[in-house]
Amino acid sequence: MATTTTKSPALLVGQSLRRREDPRLITGTATYVDDVKMPGMHHACILRSPHAAARIRAIRTSRALEMPGVVAVFTGEDVAHLGPVPCGAALPGLRVPAHTVLARDRVYYVGHPVAVVVATDRYLAADALDAIEVDWEPLPAVADPEKALEPGSPAVHPEWPDNIAFTYKQEGGDVDKAFAEADVVVRQRLVNQRLIPVAMETRGVVAEWKPGDRQLTLYTSTQIPHLVRTLVAGMLKMPENRLRVVAPEVGGGFGSKLNVYAEEALMAFVAMKIGKPVKWIESRRENFVATIHGRGHVDYYEVAAKRDGTILGIKLKLIQDIGAYHQLLTPAIPTLSILMMPGLYKCKNVRADLIGVFTNCTPTDAYRGAGRPEATYGIERMVDILAAELQMDPAEIRFKNFVGSGEFPYQTATGLSYDSGDYAAPLRKALETVNYETLREEQRKARESGRLIGIGISTYGEICALGPSASLPCGGWESATVKIEPGGQVTVLTGISPHGQGEETTFAQIVADELGVSVDDVVVLHGDTSLVQYGIGTFGSRNTAIGGTALYFALQDLKEKLKKFGAMLLESDDVVWNRGRCVCMKSGKEVTLPEIAAASYRAMKLPENTDPGLVATRFWEPPNFTFPFGAHIVVTEVDPETGAVQILRYVAVDDCGKIINPLLVRGQIHGGVVQALGQVFYEHAVYDENGQLVTGELTDYAIPKASYVPAIESYHTETPSPVNPLGVKGVGEAGTIGCTPAAVNSVVDALSHLGVRHIDMPLTPEKIWKVIQDRRTA
Amino acid sequence: MIIEGTRSVALEPQRLYTLLQDPDTLARCIPGCESLVKEGDQEYRLKMKLVIASVNGLFDGRVRIADPSPHESFRLIVEGSGRAGFVKGDGVIRLASDNGAGTNVHYKGEVHVGGTIAAVGQRLLDMTAKMVIKRFFDKVSEEAVAKASGT
Repeated sequence: MATTTTKSPALLVGQSLRRREDPRLITGTATYVDDVKMPGMHHACILRSPHAAARIRAIRTSRALEMPGVVAVFTGEDVAHLGPVPCGAALPGLRVPAHTVLARDRVYYVGHPVAVVVATDRYLAADALDAIEVDWEPLPAVADPEKALEPGSPAVHPEWPDNIAFTYKQEGGDVDKAFAEADVVVRQRLVNQRLIPVAMETRGVVAEWKPGDRQLTLYTSTQIPHLVRTLVAGMLKMPENRLRVVAPEVGGGFGSKLNVYAEEALMAFVAMKIGKPVKWIESRRENFVATIHGRGHVDYYEVAAKRDGTILGIKLKLIQDIGAYHQLLTPAIPTLSILMMPGLYKCKNVRADLIGVFTNCTPTDAYRGAGRPEATYGIERMVDILAAELQMDPAEIRFKNFVGSGEFPYQTATGLSYDSGDYAAPLRKALETVNYETLREEQRKARESGRLIGIGISTYGEICALGPSASLPCGGWESATVKIEPGGQVTVLTGISPHGQGEETTFAQIVADELGVSVDDVVVLHGDTSLVQYGIGTFGSRNTAIGGTALYFALQDLKEKLKKFGAMLLESDDVVWNRGRCVCMKSGKEVTLPEIAAASYRAMKLPENTDPGLVATRFWEPPNFTFPFGAHIVVTEVDPETGAVQILRYVAVDDCGKIINPLLVRGQIHGGVVQALGQVFYEHAVYDENGQLVTGELTDYAIPKASYVPAIESYHTETPSPVNPLGVKGVGEAGTIGCTPAAVNSVVDALSHLGVRHIDMPLTPEKIWKVIQDRRTA
Repeated sequence: MIIEGTRSVALEPQRLYTLLQDPDTLARCIPGCESLVKEGDQEYRLKMKLVIASVNGLFDGRVRIADPSPHESFRLIVEGSGRAGFVKGDGVIRLASDNGAGTNVHYKGEVHVGGTIAAVGQRLLDMTAKMVIKRFFDKVSEEAVAKASGT
């Protein structure tokens, strides 16, 4: 027993610890799905439809079966007994097409899986795809959601000739009155173009069936291993405890792996059928058509206001491009946009009409921000358009309409309860940082000399820490198990399965502070359903706010137990837990955590009503979402001769509540902003009129390169959330949410004196050059 | 995509027309042609290797000649598919005397592609189509010159 008191180390929460995950990632020693190798493992390749719509008259596989190394070929008929690819979102009147694992008599989009070849080698499997003969009868297709709504348009699913997947309305306040009383109404059509998530690691599955144990193991690159287990077991009609799902290292997801895909059930089926492990790794070209796309909105906004800039009402007609099928959360994504319609503003009168439209395209679903970047883009573009109409300063009109810092919790017209905030603070800080008044003066002078400088402001609020279970189709809680091992080291099992968020670092920081151990003594395990208790998964910036809170409560339970053992060992009732030690208040004697751990497992003596061991599990249900917010300012210069845009400054002030690790927060902001700059300037998933994806690889679909990225000046205000004891809100999506409107507002501001009011993304030099030319000749 | 162009060939329309209906000649002239087998009166089975951008593959398809107007024009309907996707084309080829010993060939048609070639080759499709047509007529011209000098 130690009797000397050493100085406690500094608290780690709030410090920029380097990511503990990085050494294995940057030295190539991490294990991704493609690194999983098993004896006797076979390889699968999937035949996909080259047609956007076609009937399958016949499939002949006999030639493929004769190819060297080929052991099996399966088509839609072979897997007809498997359950459909699940759609977890429920809306009244939702039309859900039968989404079979492989197409049967008809295909609905380019990339639709039709057959699977299994061979001893991946190349042999790929070669054999050529030998499958499909007798296609091409059918008319439609790729544009607005065209799909026109009468006489080809029906994506023949049973629903109007192509409407669902309609949804939400209304708050008295919109008609607001518009009737308005001095000014501004209207604008805004396109939030279809994007391809492009995670660095494509999807992949390894399936292994052990007939003796009747155990199926599925390695899959996913954000939600537990939900995959539940839903794939359902597709296979297999008891859930016979299926183990492992998400090993996941090389990015951005929502595209927040899903259950046909290939997961398909590979399980193949492994059981051939009695050998099987691996399928998605190629990059395959990834472009076989993994969900994001965004895909056409928004018609109307904003009513008083002449002094007070926003009175907002109307939105939202057309969501669904694609050919609903994936896991497809129909729910645009409903998140509607919830966020009023942004940070005190507007109590809103009306949204949402139409989900089937098209002969890859399904859309959650992509970084999932409905919230679209909503922020909408309101923040409209506020700028309104400011221009009223000849008001875009900062001033925002200050005028913000929910006040004394008004929290604030009930929105869309039924949310904003938890906490001081919305003016980040905007003030961003304005000070760029020296706004001086900058406006510089802009005026630059204009006189023919230079096109733009200043774009966006503020944003977001819904994070998704969320209370009542608001989600899958449960919104999270879980943590903390084990103090006999040697005093700590093992955390989290139900959250990260794919780049850095939980192994932040969770270790929380553990280190609560238990007084070194982060080096903390191991955070995740992603294996037979190792870790059930959890929901990584999406909606929920990991720290919900998973971290479950961890926090499990740690509190453990501290209580540690104190009981400490009191027993110190033979005193008057003990406190002081960061790694149990201290007797009377004698000053203490026992360390390793001493208590050893005693608790040795169990020679136990405190009253106390079991041996030091293990605690908590499931935590959040009472509300959290609502981070912030302000981004982008200064741009447009080259009038080429239309090219240069970002002169990018200032981001984000309030994500209490910050556990500033380095990781900055990383999330940088990554989010860069991804959003991709949408603003480069990215667009383009389908031609026949439903062919013409941006089918990275030579045609531009994502930002490192050299395109400006210096991002990242600052924070810190308003703790009252929703969880850590006070954290979430930051995974903030960058993508704040950036697009700020950047587009900036470019439009640069051209505003030419009469430019709006340009749809992506703001390619060609598009901007044409706008400038049109204005010059007008 | 619309493909349209003209080309002059040093052989008078009657003989060029006959040449363009001859499977053996076509097999020699179509770039990348691996086989061309007559399957019906005006229908051929074509196997052809095609390279567009970073995609290459064997296309297996059918070529059908319709609306023949001997020595003047015919319609060509092509449908092919392979690992790299599919190609569908429908066009009219017109032959007119250049008032000498040669022919002005005018071709106009619409081409649709799908699958990988649409996804990765769209930007280069126009260029590739022009090149394939040019190389085809280059070879036809060579054959025509040989034919002309051989008589």
